[in-house]
Amino acid sequence: MDYSENAERISRKFSQKGQTVDKKKIENKLRRLVDEFGVLPSEAERSVTNDLAKEFNIPTLGTSSGSGPGSATEQKKIADAAPGDWVTIEGKVVSLSTPASPTIAQSGILADESGAIRFIVWTKSNAPAMTEGSWYRIESAVVDEYKGIPSLKVHSGTTMKELGTTDPLIPVPVQIKDLHIGIGSVRAKVVQEWEPTHDRMLQSGLLSDETGTIRFVIWKEPGKEQLEVGSVYSAFYALVDEYNGRLSLNLTTATVMQEEGDIPTISGGEVAIHGAIVHIAPGSGIIKRCPVEGCNRALSRQNYCPIHEIQPNFVYDLRIKGWLDDGEKTHNILIQRGVVESLTSITLDAAKEIAENNPLGMDEVFLRMRDILLGRYVVCRGREIENRLMVNSCERLTFDSGEHAALLNRAGGAS
Amino acid sequence: MSINERDVGKKDASFEREPARRVFAAELRECRYQFKEGDDEKSPTFVLLPTGERSNRIYLVGTLTEKQRQGEQNLFYRGRVVDPTGTFFVMAGSYQPEAMQQIAKIETPAFVAVVGKPNIYQKDPASSPLVSVRIESINVVDKETRDLWMLDAAARTLDRIDAFARGEGKDVVTAKEQYPTLNPAVFKKMAYDALAQIKI
Repeated sequence: MDYSENAERISRKFSQKGQTVDKKKIENKLRRLVDEFGVLPSEAERSVTNDLAKEFNIPTLGTSSGSGPGSATEQKKIADAAPGDWVTIEGKVVSLSTPASPTIAQSGILADESGAIRFIVWTKSNAPAMTEGSWYRIESAVVDEYKGIPSLKVHSGTTMKELGTTDPLIPVPVQIKDLHIGIGSVRAKVVQEWEPTHDRMLQSGLLSDETGTIRFVIWKEPGKEQLEVGSVYSAFYALVDEYNGRLSLNLTTATVMQEEGDIPTISGGEVAIHGAIVHIAPGSGIIKRCPVEGCNRALSRQNYCPIHEIQPNFVYDLRIKGWLDDGEKTHNILIQRGVVESLTSITLDAAKEIAENNPLGMDEVFLRMRDILLGRYVVCRGREIENRLMVNSCERLTFDSGEHAALLNRAGGAS
Repeated sequence: MSINERDVGKKDASFEREPARRVFAAELRECRYQFKEGDDEKSPTFVLLPTGERSNRIYLVGTLTEKQRQGEQNLFYRGRVVDPTGTFFVMAGSYQPEAMQQIAKIETPAFVAVVGKPNIYQKDPASSPLVSVRIESINVVDKETRDLWMLDAAARTLDRIDAFARGEGKDVVTAKEQYPTLNPAVFKKMAYDALAQIKI
């Protein structure tokens, strides 16, 4: 077979770019690929072209090695880049984070005016290091996804060049209800702080604006500071992922700025629900928690933690899980130790005493608390998160003769 | 105060539990229409209150005056819980072991708070229907809880009567069809009489 025609075509492409190639050498390469390795001639031609393009560093001549739909490298806006696409993107590096593995040279977030995307530069790509705040044109990168979050991968076939532009890119915060998996910017208030569940966790809690609430987490990294409960922050380019089936905002790599003033939040703060406790759920009363720092999971009766297995040196705690019913809606409630103690007049120490000395053990505490609370009218104050009321205070209701009189008037009025 | 995130849970929080309606015995006694929304085996069954609201569950506080153990193989308890307007017939069977244990140890008479599901029974086609409440939980309470419930039940009953008069609510039309001879205004008098019995 004669390869002079293919070789001629390849050499013409390169001479257009001002490069001279050895036609004989190309012919030999093609022959080897086709005759020895059984590669299709068209594929061989592409392969040789790509090799040479790389050699001469002419990215546009190299054709992508992917196949099928979506394989063509298109210049796209970040918001349009979908997993599976080969893309060329111009964007600004708005954040760099510490790579999680030595196979990753750099990772961070790239943004343009349409949106932002996480990027990863493989060490093997030998790409030049990018600097935060600069704009780059990234050609032939691949978009894939990890845990549902789109991510731009810079590999050995990707070319990258710094653009001279210094556009001040201003991210537009969205409302919490409009956040979706990927990258997002919000302006919200820290309404709650939770106990860290991991020793690498700097802080976790709840952010709220007038459209909703979202969990946030900050992982320990040099220079990271905790947020203040009650303050308003703008968080630009935070990672939105999923945790326990709900969206969660990872602020570790985000640009977080404290704002002046206050903003309305979804519940305007606390809600107060008057009603009757109609159910005390199993898992209420005295419970054992995993002692491993940052874990704190409730243990099974056999002192078994789903993560840390048998934990004989558990820590006791009190809580009430149940349903508070106002006649129109039933609210799932979760009451913490301090409130349980004042509501039931059973302290943690007293509950321990009962659990360790009574034949029914921990069940006895459950039964006593149930008998004290079930069917009683209370007012619970707290914040409602994902249909569950996190109770900050709870008191028994008392008979109000004024209300009695008002109802008598109402019922006795003209019918 | 900080919240332990491990307790926040995940899926169970999205479940919508049917609310427990507050209704006096005299109104519950008049229920004749029971319906189910949806064809699913697990869709809830509702009893339609004459004041025009559906009820899958009720919460009541009254005096447990009598209780009776019945059956040999299928042990169950029957009880009468009295409020100022009449009597609730409550029962707990072997499918409600917790409720059975609770009622077993209560000594009558006692103020009790009951959460349960109303059902309309008819022994045979000739007999008149009877509304009974299958107990989910029953617990001894104090008089103050009973008085609070009376206020609550009266307020909710008056709210339903007002909504009925305005023709609001999706069940009002059905109530008018199902209970053509009942005038909800009678329940206003009932609520007044009940409230008048509370001694301060």
